[in-house]
Parts: sequence; structure tokens; C-alpha cells
Amino acid sequence: MRTLALIVAACGADAGANALVAQVAANIEAGVSEVRYDGFLASAAASVSPTIRWEHSRGRGFVSARGTYLRFESGRHSLDGSINGSWFAPLAPRLRAELGVSAGGSQYANIASFSHSEAEARLHLMSAERGAWAGASAGRSYFSGLPRNVVVLATGFWLLRRDKTMFVSLDRSSIGDTAFSDLRASARWRGSRVVLEGIVGARVWSRGGGRGVYGEGSAALTLGPDVALVLSAGRYPTDVVSGSIAGRYVTAAVRVGSIPIRRPASRVLPVNEPVYTGSDGAVSATETRLAIQIRADDVLLTIYAAGAASIEITGDFTDWQPVPLNRGDGETWAGVFRMTAGLHRLNVRRDGGPWIVPTGTMRRPDDYDGEVGVFVLP
Amino acid sequence: MIVAALLMAMQVAIQDPRLDRLDPDTRAQVIAVVDSARQAGLPAEPLIQRALEGTTKAAPGARIVTAVRRLAADLGAARTALGNSASAPELEAGVAALRAGAPSQVLATLRSVRRSSLTMALSVLADLVASGVSADSAAAAVLALAPTARDADLVEFRRAVERDIALGAPPSAATSVRVNSGAFVNSMSSDPGPPTRPRRP
Repeated sequence: MRTLALIVAACGADAGANALVAQVAANIEAGVSEVRYDGFLASAAASVSPTIRWEHSRGRGFVSARGTYLRFESGRHSLDGSINGSWFAPLAPRLRAELGVSAGGSQYANIASFSHSEAEARLHLMSAERGAWAGASAGRSYFSGLPRNVVVLATGFWLLRRDKTMFVSLDRSSIGDTAFSDLRASARWRGSRVVLEGIVGARVWSRGGGRGVYGEGSAALTLGPDVALVLSAGRYPTDVVSGSIAGRYVTAAVRVGSIPIRRPASRVLPVNEPVYTGSDGAVSATETRLAIQIRADDVLLTIYAAGAASIEITGDFTDWQPVPLNRGDGETWAGVFRMTAGLHRLNVRRDGGPWIVPTGTMRRPDDYDGEVGVFVLP
Repeated sequence: MIVAALLMAMQVAIQDPRLDRLDPDTRAQVIAVVDSARQAGLPAEPLIQRALEGTTKAAPGARIVTAVRRLAADLGAARTALGNSASAPELEAGVAALRAGAPSQVLATLRSVRRSSLTMALSVLADLVASGVSADSAAAAVLALAPTARDADLVEFRRAVERDIALGAPPSAATSVRVNSGAFVNSMSSDPGPPTRPRRP
């Protein structure tokens, strides 16, 4: 959605919005969320996000800074902040150059922090109602002080129709050894008292950055001259540069301030708990996750499988005989097994389908052209 | 006496009703491999389990026999590296580490620097390599931790590395950072809860 803001700033076509704001404006957003990061249980959270923005009076550039404090129901909290800015220079009647910089950092609990800094150059070819751009970013992302080079190549096009903005873009990002491509489409509609924004995307050709589809939507309802109710929800992919992990969220917030263009809420790093192989940002509507609880005389295996009608498990602790699990509350299935210490191998099957590897185990080739989940019982 | 013990072991394999799930030809070949391994002092149970896994996954008999033979050979290689005193779980974990790409010399060094069981250390080593950490970096990390870290510490170390990788950290850098920070030791000591239960952020 930042791209939408850039389009608006680049073409200066959203005059109705910009005319209402001062050159320097600020807002603060306070809200509550239900978040569910990949590999974690859902959690409620409360957030406060101040934003300040400066815009050139004739739309030649802007600088924006934003911070987010987010507190989970567990009592843990996260803090992140970012600043970015761009300057636009007319090269020809329909050609504009853009130079931008961005930097940010994030930290959650006692985990290693992430930070990044980037410089960006874009070339915009535009008319009154449509345009296209191509650009590149280069910079560095730091994990605990260890740098990785960041290179992003991007291209896209956009359309403006008075109260509507749409764009489609294709990015290729390379961060150290990680590389992926994002194909995105977004739309924004501005009514008299409401602004709707939505984005859908797909992460493809990924090496270490996760893959899958995602989408986010938001509605900003004007309640007063400088007050809006902002409702947003969606699923987003892992952001390798800033260190945010994939997840889904629903947020209701009140925004007090005077900037009508909204960026998506920052996501924090839920990194004080396990993240397993297979949850590196992949989007799966049928995720099957294993939890292991060691008890006095046996082991309780619990499978979290939303939407499943039946779950079977097989492994060395069942002599590889399929054993149906008992349905628990909601989306959980459980069984009790006797196991010895050491390595164990298993697969699970939902609704009579193929044998799969649940997250929560290490994925290994199984000698039979498939995969098996492995875990160690201490 | 030795002959009697061997005959008894063969009898156990032959009479193991679990292997009745194999077709007769495959069963005969698997039993031969199991017997041979047993005579060599290798654990039979992992071999039987590998065969049963093949039947559940509807693998052809020849494929099952190949898998069992390969596992027997790898168990032998693991024992060579870990020594004759290695337990069955250690050998299985050693196989996982070797298959992941860990040099056999690393297994031997681990044996010499760690007094307690190597099962978890070897599993963590295999897991790190499977997570994208180079075999050399993973071996260096586990060797650095092995002399003093408890199994729980090693588990927490692996989790911390996986977490950092999931957040975009380069695998080898994440491993190095975690080894040097040592933060996983304290966090595990303060929270010895269920090892893999998902929690809230």
C-alpha cells in the first residue's frame, strides 16, 4: 500500500486529499488486534502507532516516519520504527524521476534485532490517468549487526479514475541468500466518508522467503474532522528485510490526526516461541501442526488441523499402523502413545488424503519418494 | 553360547509378527538384512520400522529392501564414527547427521567431547543442516556447545536458530549469533515447558 501512496505523491493527482492536509501533519492510531503468526497460537494485542509526515507543497517530495508499540496478551511487547522519503524530479512532460531512502528497525523481547537502510531510484512514465514505473532499490539489512545486501527490482503500472486508484506490480527481491518475487495488485477507493483499500498478492520463485498468496483490506470511516475508525484484516507474507514473520490479523483502531493516506499496520516479531520448519512464510489454508507433550508415563500428541473431518497418525510408535486421533476442542485432535527416548518418525493424514509431514517436526526424505516428520524425545 | 544367542536373535526376527505385513519375498530379504545387522551388533528395531514404514506407504518390495539395506549400512557407518558403545538412539541420530552431510569425523569428535548421550546433539546437528546451515557451520556450533550444554539447551538453541532463519536471517549467521550469544541457555532454564507446543506471542 506504500506503493499507492507513492503513486499519489508522484502524479499529484490526489489533489483532493492533499489539499486538506498541512505540509507537516501527524496522526496517532490506537487499536486492538487479533493476530496469528505462522507457528503460533492466536493472540490479542493492543497497539499505538504515531506517524508524522512532511509533504512538499507542490508534491515534489515527502518524508514520513512511523513507530509502533504493540503489546500482546502474554505481556510481551515489540517496538519498531521506520522512516522513508522520496523526491520527485520532472525530466520531461510525462517523465519523472524519483529518488528515495528508507530505514527502520524492530525489536521483540530479548531476540536479536533487525534493521535496514535502502536507497531507491524509480522512473515514472505517466499521463493524467495512467502510468508505469520501473525502479531498483539497494541497501543493507542487518540481523544482530550482521549485514546482508538488499537488492530489489520492481516494475508496475497504475490507473486513476477520480476516486479510484489501482496498480499492479512485480518485484524481485534479493536479500543475502534469500530471494523471492512478489506479484501484487491493489486498489483504493475514496468516498465522501470512507476510504477502502485492498491488496492481493502472490509470492513466487522463492528461495527462503516463503511462498503463497496473501491479501489485506482496510476501511477508514470518517467519524469527525480529524478522527477516523480504521478496520483492517488480512494475511501478509514474511518481510525478510524488516524481519516480520508471516501471519494474519484483524484490527480495529481509532486514528486521530489529519493524514488521509493509511499505510498497513506494522507487524511485530513473535519470536519468543518456536517457529518450525515449514512455516517460513508459506501460506497454507490446511496447515497441520503437531504439538508434543511429554507426560509421566506417555506422550500426548496433539494435531492442530483447522477444517479437518478426521486425522490419522502413523509412525514408529504405532509400528506404522494408521491410528485415528480423537477430536478435541475445536480444531485439535489428540492421541496418547508410549514412546522411548530418541528419534521418532511420523506422518499424518487428514480426511483420508496423502500422508503428510506436520509442522512441528523436522522434514526429511523418507526413502520412499516422500517425506517423513522427525522429532527427538529427550 | 554365541551360536545359541545368534539362533535366538534369528528366531526373534523370524517370528516378529509385524513383518507379516510384508509380502513373502520382501519379508525374507528384510529378515536377512535384519539378521545380518544383528550379528554385526547393530540395532534391529530401526530396520524393522523402516520396512513397516514402507508397507504403510505402499512402497514396492524392492524399494523396501533397498531402504532397509541402506539404513543398515548407514547404521554401520554411524557406529564406526561413534564407537561400539553407541546406543541405538545415538546410532539413529548419527545416521540422520551423516545423511544431512555432517562429516564422520565430527561424530567422532562429538563422542570425545560430550559425556552424556549424543542423541540430541546429533539430531540438532542434522536439523541445522536441514534448515540450510552449512554442514561446517552446524558442526562447529554443535561442537562448541556439546561439552557443557544440556539436551534442553541444545533444543532451545536449535529453536532459536530456526526462528531467526524464519525471520530472514542467513542460516549460518543465525547459528553463529546464537552460539556466541548463549541466550538460549537462560531462556530454557527459566521455562522448561512442553518442548514443541505452540504458544502465544
